[in-house]
Amino acid sequence: MVETFYEVMRRQGITRRSFLKYCSLTAASLGLGPAFVPKIAHAMETKPRTPVLWLHGLECTCCSESFIRSGHPLAKDAVLSMISLDYDDTIMTAAGHQAEAILEEVMTKYKGNYILAVEGNPPLNQEGMSCIIGGKPFLEQLKHVAKDCKAIISWGSCASWGCVQAAKPNPTQATPVHKVIHDKPIIKVPGCPPIAEVMTGVITYMLTFDRLPELDRQGRPKMFYGQRIHDKCYRRPHFDAGQFAEAWDDEGSRKGYCLYKMGCKGPTTYNACSTVRWNGGVSFPIQSGHGCIGCSEDGFWDKGSFYDRVTDIQQFGVEANADQIGGATLGVVGAAVAAHAAVSAIKQSRSKQSDVNDKQG
Amino acid sequence: MLSAQDMREAEAHGRSVKAVYVYEAPVRLWHWVNALAITVLAISGWFIASPLPSQPGEASENFLMGYIRFAHFSAGYVLLIGLLGRIYWAFVGNHHARQLFVLPIFNATWWKEVLFELRWYLFLERDPKKYVGHNPLAQLSMFTLFLTTTVFMIVTGFALYGEGTQEGSWAHTLFTSWVIPLFGQSQDVHTWHHVGLWVFLLFVLLHVYAALREDIMSRQSLVSTMLSGWRMFKDDKP
Amino acid sequence: MGAYETQGFKLDNSGKRIVVDPVTRIEGHMRVEVNLDTNNVIRNAVSTGTMWRGLEVILKGRDPRDAWAFTERICGVCTGTHALTSVRAVEDALGILIPENANSIRNIMQLTLQVHDHLVHFYHLHALDWVDVVSALSADPKKTSELAQSISSWPLSSPGYFRDIQNRLKKFVESGQLGPFMNGYWGNPAYKLPPEANLMAVTHYLEALDFQKEIVKIHTIYGGKNPHPNWLVGGVPCAINVHETGAVGAINMERLNLISHIIDRTIEFIDQVYIPDLLAIASFYKDWTYGGGLASKSVMSYGDIPDKANDYSAANLMMPRGAIINGDLSKVHEVDLRDPSQIQEFVDHSWFKYAGANDAAGKGLHPWDGETVAHYELGKNAKGTSTNIEQIDEGGKYSWIKAPRWKGHAMEVGPLARYIIGYVQNNPEFKEPVDRVLKKLDLPLPALFSTLGRTAARGLEASWAVHKMRYFQDKLVANIKAGDASTANIEKWDPSTWPKEAKGVGFTEAPRGALGHWIKIKEGRIDNYQCVVPTTWNGSPRDSKGQIGAFEASLMNTPMAKADQPLEILRTLHSFDPCLACSTHVMAPDGQEMTRVRVR
Repeated sequence: MVETFYEVMRRQGITRRSFLKYCSLTAASLGLGPAFVPKIAHAMETKPRTPVLWLHGLECTCCSESFIRSGHPLAKDAVLSMISLDYDDTIMTAAGHQAEAILEEVMTKYKGNYILAVEGNPPLNQEGMSCIIGGKPFLEQLKHVAKDCKAIISWGSCASWGCVQAAKPNPTQATPVHKVIHDKPIIKVPGCPPIAEVMTGVITYMLTFDRLPELDRQGRPKMFYGQRIHDKCYRRPHFDAGQFAEAWDDEGSRKGYCLYKMGCKGPTTYNACSTVRWNGGVSFPIQSGHGCIGCSEDGFWDKGSFYDRVTDIQQFGVEANADQIGGATLGVVGAAVAAHAAVSAIKQSRSKQSDVNDKQG
Repeated sequence: MLSAQDMREAEAHGRSVKAVYVYEAPVRLWHWVNALAITVLAISGWFIASPLPSQPGEASENFLMGYIRFAHFSAGYVLLIGLLGRIYWAFVGNHHARQLFVLPIFNATWWKEVLFELRWYLFLERDPKKYVGHNPLAQLSMFTLFLTTTVFMIVTGFALYGEGTQEGSWAHTLFTSWVIPLFGQSQDVHTWHHVGLWVFLLFVLLHVYAALREDIMSRQSLVSTMLSGWRMFKDDKP
Repeated sequence: MGAYETQGFKLDNSGKRIVVDPVTRIEGHMRVEVNLDTNNVIRNAVSTGTMWRGLEVILKGRDPRDAWAFTERICGVCTGTHALTSVRAVEDALGILIPENANSIRNIMQLTLQVHDHLVHFYHLHALDWVDVVSALSADPKKTSELAQSISSWPLSSPGYFRDIQNRLKKFVESGQLGPFMNGYWGNPAYKLPPEANLMAVTHYLEALDFQKEIVKIHTIYGGKNPHPNWLVGGVPCAINVHETGAVGAINMERLNLISHIIDRTIEFIDQVYIPDLLAIASFYKDWTYGGGLASKSVMSYGDIPDKANDYSAANLMMPRGAIINGDLSKVHEVDLRDPSQIQEFVDHSWFKYAGANDAAGKGLHPWDGETVAHYELGKNAKGTSTNIEQIDEGGKYSWIKAPRWKGHAMEVGPLARYIIGYVQNNPEFKEPVDRVLKKLDLPLPALFSTLGRTAARGLEASWAVHKMRYFQDKLVANIKAGDASTANIEKWDPSTWPKEAKGVGFTEAPRGALGHWIKIKEGRIDNYQCVVPTTWNGSPRDSKGQIGAFEASLMNTPMAKADQPLEILRTLHSFDPCLACSTHVMAPDGQEMTRVRVR
């Protein structure tokens, strides 16, 4: 009586004919011959929903909140019909021992076949005890559950990069998942939080095509993180035209001009905000007048103010941007050159004088 | 002081050591094209980081930022192709053409001469030496300030350019695909590329000053050499 | 500590110890331990915040105009409320006045959060403490339909509709893959609803899951996204342009209409689904009167939702402000967030220590002078090891949450606190709904001081808030009509216009209760930043006098139906809507000794 993938597709209005066509496409994309089509169809018709164990480390739960905002598919349908969300301490009924028991059960029953979704990250300082689950460091739980999983999804910027608790000086030594788990495929879905439909999109892609999405070098799915917000921003024509908002609530702001000068990080941020947009496509930060703060990028907290165009360089040990450092350096060297030129001129005239003296002598 | 090779070369050409043909036409052309490209890059780059005041009218009637970026990218291509041509010329041109790329760091005499030039600039030496090519200190600063910065700017610049031309473009394949992950993210690449601008400005300041000063105070021509190719010596002393 | 008495509770930790870790369906990580007597009644309760991230030190040295984005990430559930508190703190420090429109938009966003948060809390975090999903399978859809139609005019109530949901649920349960419902406490005698009420509630669980994503679109329109919309020191980032060319790039008529439409739909959902469900469920639990804790003793609210911009006096705040102590409902005390003797934080039982002269037992610090050094150690009677805790020792340090006190009192904050204060102040907007509910359920006023009272206050507040959203949206449109489209004051945007040193405090009423941020600015940078958040108040551990916090107090004297199923514990804790990422953000300066876990 398991509601299978096929039944889910049928319930969502997909015909048997389309289903079989989809199976043959899947076979082709996996490099399998037509003989495999019935086998794939059979598997789809009978296989149970993929169990997902969703662990929470140091985080703010914005990823879970985002996930339940998904409009297509509805979060309800994703949880009831597509995956089997067996552990997620934000919404699960069970607590304490009953909750911990679920992990063990799923890990045994679906060894190698469950997906581990991680929201947040493990801290390494304070003996790892600045995030305690069941009396033990979260890191232990993470490693334990990762052991037998099929793949890991790193939800959000916490799991992917470290995010706000890893901003300097990172007092808890919060560490992204890929730095503590090395032997599993990890799909990073960064953002603070990621867009709801991107989250469900990544999961349904994995279920539909039965493979991991193609990732870029930093481990993000290319289909959603392959381009910058700037590349597809609807205000891009104003950028190219040189039309900018210069101050909050000025004429440019009211006309929807480019927010580049207000520090918008769209040109350096890889995400789907300007295309998929947020909350069912209603808007996205730039459309609502505030520049992108770059929340899906590694270390975006430590690049200086969100309102600066030319941002800070932490490596110099002081918070100063390239123009301040460059200007100061050039000023010092320029002054030195001027002084040097003056001394040279004096020397030159003296030397000429001495030449004359030599000749006279 | 002329190196033994310079002397031989000069004598072989049957000319007086008062003038030596140093910079061949392609090197001179490259120098001035390069100077122009860097000027365009610096100005356009500055206005990319800190754009001009907002333009009035419809977006479709303006393309100011587009033109500025176009100028930047075009000049970037000139810088890249120029450097490639210059590298080619290092192989086929005279030995002065190689001086920019090879530092004789295992040559004790060379280091001694670097020291001498430093002392000359610190007014500790009364009389300058003669050089046919770059003086060793100039060579050192050319390599560190100019050549490495140029390569850094080309690599980071085309990595950023490749972000716009997208995956599949040559710039993305050759540069963006590894430079961005190396820095961690695009914002840092922008920042360091911007730092490169200031290094260039620093170089230009020192380069122009040193060239003018040496033109006046040293014993050989400098500025005119980059125009005619001939190094003129002001005296016959060794 | 053995047996002793505090705040009217007799604590005794000699009985059987029950540990719940993790506490689920909350934000963040939490552990609770209780002792039961021989009748399975809770005689001692210990709540432990089990996470800590440290945003305050991270904030040091940063641009105050960026602080909202950092503090917003304290919590993704009550998203935006920390950001609002932060921009208010910065504006207070620098003397920045915001335009009327910005005040209306901020209020709409804050109220949107209240409504959304309360709705999601009730259905998705709290309902399963009252509703038995498995029992819903045996309900009669026709009778369910009759029940639904008898309490509300909500149109989705036909027998066929409930049958479809029931069938889908059946299929789900029969699949054997129960997902989030796995290992629930189904069939526990503490569940009192008949199958039909269960089916109705489960149906609305799913409907509310679909609907909640609509409410937050208001954040998306004004703030660009949700969770974590964008805010601005000096106003709001979205510009208004309803008349001219280019209006499509700003808040225009279409955007205003969309907001209006969402508000109308939300009013319908809250008043026709949430409130009737709440009353229906409550009517079956009338005799479950536990969980009052500190509610009848010490409650506090800072107040929020300024009617006019820039006036944070109690008279201008639409949410009540004040404090009640020692159960004396006849007097509402004035709360002053700037007075160093009123709000203080203690760390005697927290995994922190104060430095230097402040490192003394019973030493409290006002947030402006607040400091925190992480100091993780278990009490000497704890069982297990430091990285494998079997049992907490509440006699020693035992939580990542500090213990805040108002004039030395442990306080409860939240919707119930707001309603109690509003009630005793005779504020009709708060008193009348309470009286109506009590009358409808035929309960006396003291019934309010309970788990159920907390849950009911939250529902009433959701309804209050959504109607106030309508008020502020109309006010916004009227103001635009009067010719004012301003949304930001940039006079003091540039740090060069700031004084060399400044300090300020910002406060809001977050969905979970009173929230304050204290900031000190020095030469354009953050010098000190401290947040005292609702769950720090409610989830507070003991102080040096042994006074217990609101969570701990609320669990006292509750009987458990089954000692191995912590249903009643969850029920009461959930009624506070705990937010652990909020309460445990407090932080240590760098440089202190820290042991590290080896990564293999």
